[in-house]
Amino acid sequence: MLELRPPERPAANLDEMFEADGSPRPPYAALAATLDGLEFDEIESHVQSINTALLRRGVTFTVYADEAGTERVFPFDVIPRILTANEWSGIERGIEQRVLALNAFLRDVYHEQRILREGRIPRDVVYSSKHFCREMIGVDVALDAYVHVAGIDLIRDPNGKFLVLEDNCRTPSGISYVLENRDALKRGFPALFRDYAVRAVDDYPTRLLGVLRAIAPAGNEEPQIVVLTPGIYNSAYFEHTLLARRMGVELVEGRDLLVADNVVYLRTTRGLRKVDVIYRRIDDDYLDPLYFQHDSVLGVTGLMNAYRAGNVALANAVGTGVADDKAVYRFVPDMIRFYLDEEPLLENVPTYDCTIDAQRRHVLDHLDELVVKNANASGGYGMLMGPFATSEERNAFRRQIEDSPRDFIAQPLVELSSSPTLIDGVLKPRRVDLRPFALFATKVEVPPAALTRVALREGSLVVNSSQGGGSKDTWVLQG
Amino acid sequence: MLSRVAESFFWLGRNVERAEAVARVLDVNYSRAMELSARRPARAERLWHSVMECAGFAGPASSIEGRTASECLRHCAFDPKNPSSIVSTVRIARANALGIRSELTMEVWETINVLYLHVERQNARGVAREGPSKFLRRVRDWMQSVGGIADSTMTHGDGWHFLQTGRFLERAYMTARIVEAVDMSLEGWRESQRLLEMCCASVPFVQASHRSPEALDAVQFIALSADFPRSLRFCVREMDSAMHRISGNPEGTFGSPAERRLGRLRAVFDFTSIDEIATAGVRTFASNVRRELELLSHDVEHAYFPRLAVAALGA
Repeated sequence: MLELRPPERPAANLDEMFEADGSPRPPYAALAATLDGLEFDEIESHVQSINTALLRRGVTFTVYADEAGTERVFPFDVIPRILTANEWSGIERGIEQRVLALNAFLRDVYHEQRILREGRIPRDVVYSSKHFCREMIGVDVALDAYVHVAGIDLIRDPNGKFLVLEDNCRTPSGISYVLENRDALKRGFPALFRDYAVRAVDDYPTRLLGVLRAIAPAGNEEPQIVVLTPGIYNSAYFEHTLLARRMGVELVEGRDLLVADNVVYLRTTRGLRKVDVIYRRIDDDYLDPLYFQHDSVLGVTGLMNAYRAGNVALANAVGTGVADDKAVYRFVPDMIRFYLDEEPLLENVPTYDCTIDAQRRHVLDHLDELVVKNANASGGYGMLMGPFATSEERNAFRRQIEDSPRDFIAQPLVELSSSPTLIDGVLKPRRVDLRPFALFATKVEVPPAALTRVALREGSLVVNSSQGGGSKDTWVLQG
Repeated sequence: MLSRVAESFFWLGRNVERAEAVARVLDVNYSRAMELSARRPARAERLWHSVMECAGFAGPASSIEGRTASECLRHCAFDPKNPSSIVSTVRIARANALGIRSELTMEVWETINVLYLHVERQNARGVAREGPSKFLRRVRDWMQSVGGIADSTMTHGDGWHFLQTGRFLERAYMTARIVEAVDMSLEGWRESQRLLEMCCASVPFVQASHRSPEALDAVQFIALSADFPRSLRFCVREMDSAMHRISGNPEGTFGSPAERRLGRLRAVFDFTSIDEIATAGVRTFASNVRRELELLSHDVEHAYFPRLAVAALGA
């Protein structure tokens, strides 16, 4: 018999599946009953067949620290994470509002800069951002849309409230796991779905294609759209191939493209063919060696000129990284008030700005309680988990913060919610986050396709795949 | 179609076909070697020598003398430094497939990936211990199914035609190498039969001719049969038609050096008799064909996968 064990109480955090008294929450009741009726061996054989299918299909990511090109299956936990229609509609509205504000902010900082002139965000914070792109000032982009794809990371605090942990406005990844997880779970463990009406996720590629078509330069009824990948060694290469295939567009590398007279072309067996829209999964820094990293071999020489001339559309726009800079993060609620004249529906995690003397002093005095993050890093790298760190690690961060305060922010440790996860045949509580994706061209869409990442290590609060994270299928229930 | 993608399809086709051919040649000869008497080691040595010649790509003949069955297996199946070994060709096929994953159907990709995962888990000692046939047949079968699965799941557009070009070019090339490596002056029937088996042709041959093969009959079938899918003639015709489907030029005309070379080769196979091949010498004929196919590969690469320079373009 599978042991359905509610987390030990009292726990500091909320459990997604179980109430404090150990009974399953109403949306999980049917799932708990189904699991209760299964033998351990049955579950184990479902798990095995799902993992084999994922390996065969090559649903893998590349681990950079290992020897070149090591492919691993992204660990998948078969116990789904459930969101009710009500919970989802709150998330949906909150994300829609946030993405509109982030987009308005980008339009503004690359044009009139009203928010800086009116002193709502210090000019220094924006201009010192590593991802603020001066080449984009005064450049108009199609439909004034900058953030065509956003991934907004949410966590749930002990009161059950969703908070925004960070915004990802550059090239957020993970949607392929959402699509593959659902597919694998439906095939490998159909019994789980018996009592539920779950919203489908498989129209995401079609919706993305709609966004890409909408931003094509005018005058072309059938725009040529491509997905630009850094290549087969990139950690998200699988996702690039999946999106290209499902959208029915070419997956290209930098060497497949060339620019002549500010027009981007594909090198094909029948000569050159004009490109109208590029869904690029390459960072700004590597896009065009003329403008950015001069030694980049991933990008396309002359691409920025073609883009600035309006001959090709890029998704996401260049320079969106200033909006998800961790030092800009604490101003997003102000952006919502400033541009939309609304109160934020989703709150931020309280954040200390190390460039402000009083706040920096507080951070340095409380390093053993706080989480310190490098403002420019992502993927769980460059982070100090104060309560779990050694005094050496804390001292190293202390020196770095004193040397370059702009590069660091600090937040109180949030006890994120946990979800029961199958570990060696037993269900154990493991911490989870939630990454819904938003699409934007003329309006914000939030497809019911969100990624739940889970920290598989006991006690860990870090869910990134590079740090031993896995994922779960995320069910948004029909209303 | 992107030039890079076309190139990957071409090399995917070549490597799939080469892995299949090497596995088949090894399997056929393992099976034959079991029946050879241990008292006549020269015959076994001659057998493995010919295997190294057609599947081992081992350079000068002196370096491949004195090979044993197990050395042959290690070199032809598991040596990662030998680009024609099964492990190398499967890796290269998979790397090419990975680079064009979005163009392949999931079925084709999975077939290649599953074989790759299987081959990566094997080693020469383990395979030799349990008898190599199981492993070799698995490689052969899976690689043959790549062709069938691609045929029934992929759109027959440019990518498919480049895949076909690569497959038939390699198939003809391996057939030519096998003919070249077999010494037709030896042992009459037995050697003809081995030749047919290495080309998957023993049953098709007997069905077509209703008799046991004399040396020249076997060569005639393998070189000139119009309908047998591994004959040189058949392969050249398929390549010619795939290339013309890509270019849009009518068959029988040419628009590129590749098409011209194919037209000439096609005429050779359509209008040459086995007597003329015998007069020239079977080995000489086969090695001329092999060289033509090497040149053809360069022609295809030059026509469709050039490394374009920005300056050369009048966009």
